[in-house]
Amino acid sequence: MYGGGNTFEKLKTKSIKEENPEKLAEFEARIARGEKIEPSDWMPDLYRKQLIRMIEQHAHSEIIGALPEGTWVTRAPGFKRKLALMAKVQDEVGHGQLLYSAAETLGKSRESMIEDLISGKSKYSNIFNYPAFTWADSCFISWLVDAGAIVNQLANAKGSYGPYCRALDRICIEESFHLKYGHHCVIHLATGTPKQREMMQEALNRWWPPMMHFFGPSDKISAHTEILMKWKVKMDTNDNMRNQFLDMYVPKIWELGLTIPDPNLKKNEETRRWEYTEPDWEEFKRVINGDGPCNKERLAVRAMAEERGRWVRRALLNPKSKYVTPLA
Amino acid sequence: MTSLDPRLNRVDIYKYQQELQPKDSMDQFETYEVFLQTKESKPYQHEGIVHAPNRDMAFLFAKEQFSRRGTCTGLSVVRTEHIMVSPMTDNDENVYDLVSVEPEKNTKKETYEVFYLFKRGKHMQHQGSVSAVGFHDAYIQAGATYNTGKTVLNVWVIRHDDMLFNTEDERVIWSTLSEKKFRDAIAYKALDKIKKFKEEQLASK
Repeated sequence: MYGGGNTFEKLKTKSIKEENPEKLAEFEARIARGEKIEPSDWMPDLYRKQLIRMIEQHAHSEIIGALPEGTWVTRAPGFKRKLALMAKVQDEVGHGQLLYSAAETLGKSRESMIEDLISGKSKYSNIFNYPAFTWADSCFISWLVDAGAIVNQLANAKGSYGPYCRALDRICIEESFHLKYGHHCVIHLATGTPKQREMMQEALNRWWPPMMHFFGPSDKISAHTEILMKWKVKMDTNDNMRNQFLDMYVPKIWELGLTIPDPNLKKNEETRRWEYTEPDWEEFKRVINGDGPCNKERLAVRAMAEERGRWVRRALLNPKSKYVTPLA
Repeated sequence: MTSLDPRLNRVDIYKYQQELQPKDSMDQFETYEVFLQTKESKPYQHEGIVHAPNRDMAFLFAKEQFSRRGTCTGLSVVRTEHIMVSPMTDNDENVYDLVSVEPEKNTKKETYEVFYLFKRGKHMQHQGSVSAVGFHDAYIQAGATYNTGKTVLNVWVIRHDDMLFNTEDERVIWSTLSEKKFRDAIAYKALDKIKKFKEEQLASK
């Protein structure tokens, strides 16, 4: 789930002016015709680096995103929910693998991607730095965080890089169950006993601010953003994605009698856009840079898995094997 | 620092970060390309890769990664480096018009599997098998048999014996797929619950 067009670090690449103008023109014409770029094709340095960064962050988000929900597998209410949640968490980890593979076709090895995640060099979706206090929090994630991710992913699946699009097609098919499962869980609590309703409302209050952060701050329409949109790396602006999410899901939340904790949230019928209290972008930056409630725990858990699994990987390794870049 | 996850509080999760070493080279193993057949009437199609220490484990990982949903009748894995790949051509150029090769001098015939790509962005699809003395010979022979009309953009040739396929009997590993309804969106009837909720609300007013 959890992809986005936004990356969090500045990128050092060859400037577009240094690229071969003939090859660049062919490349841009191909994208303009709606054709996909495949790994063996020529591509500008900026395109390659931006895609690696974006797909890699998406992959990390799947792996780290499995943690706050995975916590609830052992305490899921009932066998049915446990089975479904286990299947969902397994899906997310599988999506991480698919995405690492897509990024790998661009030339970054999986070893270095995993190392960059653990060392904190490479980021993941900020929303997973928040804790899932109750079962209702895990229901919120399953429904609405996945919903936000699907808005992103459906857009990105129309992008220009073949392997990423194919991975996203497979991912979106699997996500459809997550969304329905999550919705069902939230409805169950929201239409249940007063205690259950209260629990769901509290989870909504906790998760709404990070959910508004999810799509990232308003894009500065720079030359950089424009070129990434022209190359179909970034498919829409953050504000448009956020607006689409609000359009689709605010009515569904209200329908359940839940209150969204933002008194200014309303749709402007003239502009057809949602109005809301500006999210706290200072907090967003602070949490991305490591100072969120769960950043340390998330990375520590990932480092533990890395260390504990090392002897198994060493025992299995065939010393004669050598690496070649995967094909597609 | 305590975690909300009781399992994490039972171990010292923070000690591992201090001991962390850089990854060994090939820590993530080599890659295997995965081909899947969803129905007997359909061709095998390239789906992606898995990282694995050997072919048997690659098959196991591929089963988990690519045949968790829907139906599956066949799965195959092959080491990435065992595939002969033609250059990728532009949309209206047939690879057979651009890339010609000399047949090999070997004489021992073996079976080769041939995959074509017809459209950028789509998956490589299995066309069939040919008996040939080498990759180049297989490429030429496949052209004579399968290059009929549609523009071929890319060709993959794989020695049959390098691929690991499941046997007929092993198809039982997919027989439980249809029972796992809890992974289908259709199993969650949300609307009924909402309708009932709204009716109750109206009734109480």
